[in-house]
Amino acid sequence: MEKILTKKEFPSWIKNLKSFNVYGPVKKDALWEYERIQDPDKLDLNFKNTVLSPKKIIFPQREVILDFNHKKKGKPEIQEALPEETKNVIFGVRPCDARALTLTDKVFEEEPGDKYYLRRRHQTVTVGLTCSDPPSENCFCTSLGGSPHSTEGLDILMTELNHKYYVHSFTDKGRELMKAASDVFKNPSEKDKKDLKQVHKESEKKIKRQVKELSKITDKLKGMFDSPFWDEESMSCLKCGICTYLCPTCHCFDISDEVLSSSPLKGQRVRTWDTCQFPYFTMHSSGHNPRPDKSSRLRQRILHKFSYFVDNYDDYQCTGCGRCISKCPVDIDIIEVLEKVKDYE
Amino acid sequence: MVEMEQLQKEAKEILKQGKVKFVIGYSKGSQNLTATPVFIKKPEHTSRLIWDPTCVQNLVKFIVDDKQKQSREKKPDERPVGIVVKGCDSRAINVLIQEKFIDRDDVYILGLSCEELGVVDEKKIAQKLEGKKIEKIEFAKKNNLIVSTKDGEKKIPVKDVLADRCLECKAHFPVIYDQLFGEETEREVKEPYKSIKKTESQSPKKRWDFWKEQLEKCIRCYACRSICPMCYCDECVADSINMAVTAETTAEEKAQKIKWIERSPALSENIGYHLIRAIHLAGRCIDCGECERACPVDIPLRLLNKKLEKAAHELFDYDVGFDHKKPSLISSFKDEDPEDFIR
Amino acid sequence: MTKDFEPTIVAFLCKWCSSAGSDLAGVSRMKYPPNVIPITVMCSGSVSPLYIFNAFQKGADGVLVSGCHPGDCHYIKGNFYARRRIALVKELLDFIGLESERFKMSWVSAAEGTKYTEIIKDFVKELKPLGPQKKLRRDQ
Repeated sequence: MEKILTKKEFPSWIKNLKSFNVYGPVKKDALWEYERIQDPDKLDLNFKNTVLSPKKIIFPQREVILDFNHKKKGKPEIQEALPEETKNVIFGVRPCDARALTLTDKVFEEEPGDKYYLRRRHQTVTVGLTCSDPPSENCFCTSLGGSPHSTEGLDILMTELNHKYYVHSFTDKGRELMKAASDVFKNPSEKDKKDLKQVHKESEKKIKRQVKELSKITDKLKGMFDSPFWDEESMSCLKCGICTYLCPTCHCFDISDEVLSSSPLKGQRVRTWDTCQFPYFTMHSSGHNPRPDKSSRLRQRILHKFSYFVDNYDDYQCTGCGRCISKCPVDIDIIEVLEKVKDYE
Repeated sequence: MVEMEQLQKEAKEILKQGKVKFVIGYSKGSQNLTATPVFIKKPEHTSRLIWDPTCVQNLVKFIVDDKQKQSREKKPDERPVGIVVKGCDSRAINVLIQEKFIDRDDVYILGLSCEELGVVDEKKIAQKLEGKKIEKIEFAKKNNLIVSTKDGEKKIPVKDVLADRCLECKAHFPVIYDQLFGEETEREVKEPYKSIKKTESQSPKKRWDFWKEQLEKCIRCYACRSICPMCYCDECVADSINMAVTAETTAEEKAQKIKWIERSPALSENIGYHLIRAIHLAGRCIDCGECERACPVDIPLRLLNKKLEKAAHELFDYDVGFDHKKPSLISSFKDEDPEDFIR
Repeated sequence: MTKDFEPTIVAFLCKWCSSAGSDLAGVSRMKYPPNVIPITVMCSGSVSPLYIFNAFQKGADGVLVSGCHPGDCHYIKGNFYARRRIALVKELLDFIGLESERFKMSWVSAAEGTKYTEIIKDFVKELKPLGPQKKLRRDQ
């Protein structure tokens, strides 16, 4: 379904989505974050890249897996804590972040399937927004097979055309969402369709940064596991978790028990984000750590994204959102690292 | 004025003579606006060194890194590390020596005086440009920055975008060094604790509301811990697996192990982490502001440290990092320490 | 609601003075509110700020650290270190907006059973109007 929605009418579309939990980019101080929205006016579609991607809604940083309660002289009571059945919609999803969801899908859909992730994923409608102007100076989606108007992982794509949006839905979930307020949408004219093509074409040209010949880099990476290259490149790495926590495709987690009272033993088993950049990520109970230093951890991040993931799922585990570059406190630039890999030796 | 050529020359000289194993300094950043840390091993590469107000990082963290790396090596290279430091960073070295984490001989210090300036705050520059994307930043003569955006070049005086910590800086020249570049010019600091003034004057409820909103944002990436030169513990309480697990450790013992803070980014845990971080830095934080700069979600972490810096100064007449021969704040006391809060 | 509220106080008492002082209050049958959970530590100087934060996280409405009078420390100077450290913790907790009434320090010698009961009585009286401490509490 392809329709036109004026910016003025946009809030009334959201107001009509009463049965949905609505999420979207909200500005707080100088940053944007995806948040649950009650008032449509809070939603700011004229946004630069959010700090965290919408991954945080589908795969929250903390997810309760089960509740446990063990009273003395009784059997322990264990209650699975699946996410509530709700209908969610996220507005303003960047095409790179939506593509990233298709990559995490591949991981969590593997048998037997991650119930928690999949339930959230299936009950969420993603409404994308074309990046007519790149939201970050470090965008490089076009190098990874994406584009500023890619539709992968999206149910609807909105494209800004001056005072209106061109709204295109490609799934049942998307069409249903548009039908919830059918009277606010108009049919597009021939000129609108022409304008859309123009905006899409121009948006690609505006992506400044790129990595060339990625397949060559992937091949080269295979022989670089023991290379001193990683020592050099990781010299300034701080071992913090920014690059991986902000990454829309990183999906590693840890499971721990949070005890609220010890008698009766009561608490929750929770899943929280974890990252290969932390020293304890690979720590064995024997005390041995196979990735003891920062060079092996930087290597892990690059190899996982551009070699192992390609082997496992035939795709790069990166969509070029540029967050890890923009937010790295010591300026480690994944594009530069890849370029250096290509020219190494 | 700090002459960049002199700095490069000295770095070249010490590398040539083999006095140091490498020199840590600043070089031009690739894409981001600020300078980037650089590790120079060969004398011919010293021309990459730069010095201007975009050299925001505190490189002392890399001394800590090197020291920790040495401890894992069988035959470590024990020659000193050459390091470029600003005034604030030099005090970090002092604290590390005071705490006996490093020896004075472990470092060859190339000290730079900030003179009348300091370093810039990227967030302030962004504010000046009202959201326009920055394509290039260059430091020009007469203490101006030339910032290029798609609308052309704009001249911004460095003074207008100085980091808050530089405006409150008590020692803008190195207090410990082997070579000093630039002048030890005096400058007056009218309000050394200006940034915490507003929060301090508020009611407890207001203060709580402020910190609640700020600390709820924390995603526990631990960048503030990772970037801090004073956070050098081998194990951090925040990681909470600091229990010796032996073959005899029972499942119950493992389950009952002390966990000071949970991994969940819940408010109580975030506050727990940040309180511990702040108190562990009391009398040790030299206010380089790196924690706040690194924070991806803009938590004003510096304020917590500044508050304790002020408390140390006012209650115990203790200023951090000026003398490495003095005992540290919490490993010492005076008979006349205040005790009006004790019943 | 606040009328019925009974605050929980976690008290870190040093083994040599304050804990003995509280024992004296007990064996002398002095009356004082039962709101205290006493934790005996070897010295007030051994109380890590972590203990204090964690007590609040686990639901304490008030925390007391009590040691020997200056000069009386069994380890000569442990309480002097405590005095500095606790002052800093107090500044920090105050700065993030926790009511300053919730965190106290005292010197109680082994002979001061009466002083100990007075301190607890006053502490409970001060905490009652504040209601439960929810700011740092974990299970909220």
